[in-house]
Amino acid sequence: MKKLLKSREISSFLFLVALFLIVGIINPNFLTSSNIVACFNDSVVYIIVSVGMAFAIFIGEIDVSVGANLGFTATVVSCMLRDGQNWLLAFAVGIIIGALMGLFNGWGVAIMGVPSLIFTLGTNGVMRGMMYVYTGGAWVENLPAEFKKLYTNTLVGSISVNLTLTVLAVIAIHLLLKKTKRGRYFIAVGDNPAGAAMVGIPATQTKVAAYVICGVLAAISGIVFSSRIGFVTATSGSGYEMKAVAACVLGGISLSGGVGSVIGASIGAVIMASISRLLVFMELGSTYDNTITGILLITIVVADSLMQRNTAEKNRRQRLAARTLSGDKAKIGGGDHE
Amino acid sequence: MNKSFLQKLKEFLKSWEMVLICILLAEFVVFGAANSKFLRPALLFNSMNDFMSICIISLFVTFVMITGGIDIQAGSIVGLTSIIIGVTWQDFGLNIWVAALLAVIVAALCGALSGFFVAYCGVQAMVVTLGGSFLYAGIALLVSNMASTASYQGISGFPDYFKILSKYKFFGVIPSQLIIFLILTVLAYILLHRTKYGRRIFLVGVNQKAAEYSGINSRLVIMSTYVLSAMSASVAGVVLTAYLGTAKSDLGSNFTLNIITAVVLGGTLSTGGKGNVVGTALASVVIGLLRFGLPLCFGVGTQYLDIPVGVLLLVVVVARSMGSHPTTANLIRKWKERGREA
Repeated sequence: MKKLLKSREISSFLFLVALFLIVGIINPNFLTSSNIVACFNDSVVYIIVSVGMAFAIFIGEIDVSVGANLGFTATVVSCMLRDGQNWLLAFAVGIIIGALMGLFNGWGVAIMGVPSLIFTLGTNGVMRGMMYVYTGGAWVENLPAEFKKLYTNTLVGSISVNLTLTVLAVIAIHLLLKKTKRGRYFIAVGDNPAGAAMVGIPATQTKVAAYVICGVLAAISGIVFSSRIGFVTATSGSGYEMKAVAACVLGGISLSGGVGSVIGASIGAVIMASISRLLVFMELGSTYDNTITGILLITIVVADSLMQRNTAEKNRRQRLAARTLSGDKAKIGGGDHE
Repeated sequence: MNKSFLQKLKEFLKSWEMVLICILLAEFVVFGAANSKFLRPALLFNSMNDFMSICIISLFVTFVMITGGIDIQAGSIVGLTSIIIGVTWQDFGLNIWVAALLAVIVAALCGALSGFFVAYCGVQAMVVTLGGSFLYAGIALLVSNMASTASYQGISGFPDYFKILSKYKFFGVIPSQLIIFLILTVLAYILLHRTKYGRRIFLVGVNQKAAEYSGINSRLVIMSTYVLSAMSASVAGVVLTAYLGTAKSDLGSNFTLNIITAVVLGGTLSTGGKGNVVGTALASVVIGLLRFGLPLCFGVGTQYLDIPVGVLLLVVVVARSMGSHPTTANLIRKWKERGREA
């Protein structure tokens, strides 16, 4: 229980609750159940991208191409659906595209050893250009109504089917990561790549796998995105990469890798997705969106890094104290070493 | 020190800058052959106006990357500068030059803030400047709301003596932006390669601890590079505003890929410790000409230009890490040995 309370996810969850309460105090109209459920319903796209991003960050890398990946998949899938193709085929094509992009990123970062930010920045640019090539810059509209209905289907009350599925999937992924051997590889590789390789963990494969998962999840979020918005433009999905990173950091995932959980990432994603709605209720308007996001991101990472440094310093002192203590004992014992 | 001129020349011919010059020449040949309009001096110089701001920023982002950091907020500082000039000039009635100076000061403060978090709080440069890019773009939007004109229209109607900053042409052809870029290149070169400060930047990039132990205030050095890159972004913002004659809050929002590509293509190691200004300057011109030549000579739409730039970045980084990859390094060594035997 104590361990649970101390965990990073709890602090981000408390932050989310506090955020809702503060807005509720300023504007009591906010704290209705339908509003809060809507906040969660609307964060499905963000949750999926952020969980994918979490995998890239777990292994100590980053993937800033998820935004373009999301947009490109949304474009291709929407075009296929508009032209009356089989849905399953369209979804499969989308997911394969995502997986291939992830594989390419994984190849560049894990096998070629290119710094991940730079490599994925490149793939981001290429894919964004490919979106223009694919559509000629035109909007993809007139998606089938049943497809758009996928997003608005509700299960119990106003909780959407998508949200339920996403939450179940996140819990499943969390359990896989924490309870299975292969799942633990991701955290191990991020925590100490050299050490992980030494104890026989296939570090390179794990890194590539993390990128493939990240790409697939970005592709799935692209499909959900197009079903939510109902049309896809040439700039769809831009900025999602930044919000996903912010969500992961807010959810307590350390950017140096090896720390955090996908549940944290999901909570962070809900916070990121709710900001614009919260701002509306605070009567500030969406012009403050970027400013608040930036301030939040910087504050959290600075606080996180200062706290980490504090713990490191404390540990160092403890080690030092332990060493001098044992040193004294050695002296009392006659100093055999001399 | 006492290398002969010939040795120096030989070294230069083998250097990465020489490769860049060859690429530049190749661009002239290919684009010139495809469409002779490309080689008209007036058109060529005119085209430079469109990418000079990227070149200016890349010069100083090089400093940041040599210390081992990265700066992805420069693009949003361009927009912030532009809108500050517009609003303080139009709505607060400041003199245009005072407004420009104010914008540069604000940008320097923005850079100092991010630099402080990176250097003194030990946060990863990428995250801080990512947050910074949100924050400064957000502030730019807020500032633009203070203007009496709608933000999507931008603020225009600047006096001619301000526009002349970017519109003047020396000898009737050479645009003043190019001159500004050349002056800044020389300045950056001297600062990085000829002063103590520059040596410190390199040392901090190679090994921050060693730098700290040899009495260098490495944190201050790191922070100062972010101030410099933010100031260069704001200078680019001033130049761009004067050139377009319009102040908008979202200018420069798509610069990041181009800036990073220019710096990496210029031979700067993204892990820090190695890099040079001349390489960056050449690389940024290579990218600029690519962005100008492809639409003109091959009819590539301007929206597609992120593809070639992105591909260029990917090819460069992959090729460079291939060079240090054990298998390829072995191959190259064997190949060289065989050459020696033959």
